[in-house]
Amino acid sequence: METHRDDMGSKIGMWLFLLSEILLFGGLFILYSSYRYKNPIDFHLAAWELDRVLGTFNTLILITSSLSIVLSIFFVQKGNRRLSGLFLLATIFLGILFLGIKYVEWTAKIGHGLYPNSPRLLGRSKGEILFFGLYYSMTGLHGLHVLIGLFILSAMLVLVMKGKINEHRFVPLENTGLYWHLVDIIWIFLFPLFYLIT
Amino acid sequence: MKNRKYRTYILVWLALVILTGITVSMAGMDLGLLSIAIVLIIAAIKSGLVLSYFMHLKYETGLLFKLMIPIVLAALTVFIGLTFSDVAFR
Repeated sequence: METHRDDMGSKIGMWLFLLSEILLFGGLFILYSSYRYKNPIDFHLAAWELDRVLGTFNTLILITSSLSIVLSIFFVQKGNRRLSGLFLLATIFLGILFLGIKYVEWTAKIGHGLYPNSPRLLGRSKGEILFFGLYYSMTGLHGLHVLIGLFILSAMLVLVMKGKINEHRFVPLENTGLYWHLVDIIWIFLFPLFYLIT
Repeated sequence: MKNRKYRTYILVWLALVILTGITVSMAGMDLGLLSIAIVLIIAAIKSGLVLSYFMHLKYETGLLFKLMIPIVLAALTVFIGLTFSDVAFR
């Protein structure tokens, strides 16, 4: 019996979801820029306190993980499920590494007494409070997306190993890739806005 | 053709790494407003590369795929324009 499949439809559905994600983060970016416009000096001072080395490292990790998921899709299309699974595993590893570095970074900030509503932060100027509020909410929302991505990637790894995703049926993996790349693109903008522009 | 695609992916990755290096070293220089513009332009180029090669928009056919990113960008531009015309002249 032939089951109904609509690869094009599911891809378009994924893209629609991604477009709504772009608007969600876009709204936050607008919020960031208007607050930055209002408090240029405070934002400048606060951005100096973020760890640029860790931020750069995380950017390189996400870019590389984007390459590994694209290679995973490439190999499953060629019928090489073993290599595809290996590259998926590499993607998952890089995603965990990203979250690990984020954890180290946040812990250091919180250790310095810089977290939302902390006495130390509340003693600072309004602009710096806004900067750290945006920093925690935007990188936090992005980190949540990475975490969800890791669960989806793990599910895909199981499906690839079981052969449920193969050279004839790979749209779920392709859609996972699209999601993962979008998470990468969001970080491509978050990184310069928070860590580089001072 | 198929094997060339694999090489393209690695070249795109290399370009993304180099662009990251450029932004990070640019940020060390104190160029004021110009550095904000350069950093954002590089971020736009990077996401353009990811969208067209990694997310395959370059290889997709059909009007929908060609139009959806411009439409979303246009919507965002309108939002940004409206917000700033409010914030700047308040």
